[in-house]
Amino acid sequence: MTNPLGTRLDATFKGVELRSGVDGRLAVVVPREAIVPVLTFLKEDGYDYLQLISCVDWIDRGEFELVYLLSFYTEEVVGGDGGKQEVLLKATVPREQASAPTATSVFAIAEPHEREIHELYGIHFEGHPRLTPLFLDRNYEIPPFRKDFDTKQYVADVFDRVPPIDEEG
Amino acid sequence: MRELELYFGPQHMGMVGNFSITLKVEGDRILEATANPGYLHRGFEKLMEGRSWIKNFPMVCRINLLDPDHMEMAYAMGVEKLAGIEVPERAQFVRSIYLELARVSSHLFGLWAYANMLGFDTVSNWAMYHRDLVLDLFEELTGGRVYHIYVWPGGVRRDFPDGFTDRVVETLHSIGGCVPDYDTTFFNNKLFSERARGVGVISREEALAMGGVGQVIRATGMKYDVRKVDPYAAYDRVPWEVHTRDDGDAYSRICVVRDEMIESVHMIFNLIDAMPEGDVYNRVPNPLKWKIPAGEAYVRCESSRGELGLYLVSDGGEEPYRVHFRTPSYAHGLAILEKTLVGANIADVGNIMMSMYVVAPEIDR
Repeated sequence: MTNPLGTRLDATFKGVELRSGVDGRLAVVVPREAIVPVLTFLKEDGYDYLQLISCVDWIDRGEFELVYLLSFYTEEVVGGDGGKQEVLLKATVPREQASAPTATSVFAIAEPHEREIHELYGIHFEGHPRLTPLFLDRNYEIPPFRKDFDTKQYVADVFDRVPPIDEEG
Repeated sequence: MRELELYFGPQHMGMVGNFSITLKVEGDRILEATANPGYLHRGFEKLMEGRSWIKNFPMVCRINLLDPDHMEMAYAMGVEKLAGIEVPERAQFVRSIYLELARVSSHLFGLWAYANMLGFDTVSNWAMYHRDLVLDLFEELTGGRVYHIYVWPGGVRRDFPDGFTDRVVETLHSIGGCVPDYDTTFFNNKLFSERARGVGVISREEALAMGGVGQVIRATGMKYDVRKVDPYAAYDRVPWEVHTRDDGDAYSRICVVRDEMIESVHMIFNLIDAMPEGDVYNRVPNPLKWKIPAGEAYVRCESSRGELGLYLVSDGGEEPYRVHFRTPSYAHGLAILEKTLVGANIADVGNIMMSMYVVAPEIDR
C-alpha cells in the first residue's frame, strides 16, 4: 500500500498490518501492546478526535476485536483527493482472561468507552482509573454483550416466571 | 464547611430525564460530580443482533425519543453502505427536508425542557405547541407523531403527499413569525441571559479533548458540523451556514440552538425549491430474507445534538453481527458534564446539563 501514513506507521512500529480500509478509511491492525504507542503517534499526527471504541466478539475465532475510530476536528470537507483519511485501528484480544491496556492517558473520552466495554464484554483495561459498572446493576455470570450470552434464556429465567399464588407473601 | 454527598436524580425538579448525578458539595458549591447513567439501558444494540436488518428499524428509532429520525438515518446509511445500495436523488432531498424538520421539532422540544426547567413556563408552552405543529406534519407524512420509521435502506417509505410542501412552508412560516416573541421573552430577556451567561463555561481545547461535538463545540467558535465536513443526503446541494458563538457558556450553546433552528427552516425552503422529480425508493431484495455481505461500515450524521456515528458489522447473515452507536450525549453527559459541574452551584446543575442537551436514553441505549 502506498499510503504515506501507513508507510510511516509500518516503519515506526513492529507488527503493524495495513488492510484495505472501510470507505476511504485506513485500517491498521496492531498487536495489543502497541495500542497506546500507536494512538499516541496518531494523536501527535493530528488525529485529535477519538470517535468511538467498539468491541466485536468473534466467538468462532475465540477473540475480541477492539476497534478505535480516529478522526480529526476540521472545518473543511474530510477526504477528497489526497486529503487526510480517517483511521480505523484494530487490535485483537483473546476471549480467555481478556485484557488490554487503557487508552485513557491519550484520550480522555476513552474512559467511558472502556468502562462500557469492561462491563458489557468483560475485558479488563489495565491502568484504567475507574473501572466501575456504567449501566448495569445486576451481576451477570457472562457479560451480557458476549455472543454466548443468551438474551432470550436470560429473560425467561429472570422475568418469565410468575410465582404460584401460595408462594406469595 | 462540611462536605455532603447529594444525590441529584430523576426525583429532582432540575433534572430532566432519567439520569442522575452524585454531587459532592460544600455549601452550595460542587466539588465533584459523578454521572450515573443506566436508568434507560435497554440493551438495544444486543437485541438488534437477534433481529433481521429490516426489523431493527422500529427499534433503532426508540434509542432516542427526542430525535428518532437521525437514528433511522444513521442505521439506513449503514445498511446502504454495507449492502451497496444507491439512493435516488429525489430521496436524498426528501431525507434532508425530513431530517431538518426533525431538527426543528427536536430543538423545540429541547427548548421546552430547558425553559421549563429554568421556570420560563410561557416560552416552554410555546415551544411545545410549535413542536406539535411539526408533529402534525410528520403524522400526515408517516402516520406516526413521534416515531416515524420513514427512512429505509434505498430511500424513504413514500413520497410527499400532494400539497405537503406547501403545508410545510405554511407551518414553518407560522413558527418563524414567533421568533421575535421568543427573542423578547427568552433569548434577549435579562432574567434569562443573566441566568445563563458565564455558566458552565468550557473552553474549546477542553471540549475537543473530551470528544465534544455539536452545539458544545460550536458554542466555542468551532465550525464543526458533519453536514458540512462529511456531507450526506442533499446537504451539499444547497447553500447554508454553520452558526457559532464564542463564549462557550450555557447562553452561547442555547443561542447556537436558536440560530440552527432558523437556519434549518431556511434550508428546508431552499431544499424544497431545488428538489428534483423522480423516484424516492430503490428496490432492495426481499427484506425478510435479506443477507448482507460480510463487512463493516462506519457512518455518521449530524443529529440535533451533534455527531451521531454508527459502527455496523455484518458477518454475511440475515442479522447484524454488531451494532454500536456513538451518540453525542455520550461525550457530553459522561465526560464533559462531570468536568464542567465542578465549581458550579447546585441550582445550575440542570441549567448546565440541559444547555449541553444531554439526553439520557441515547447514552444508555
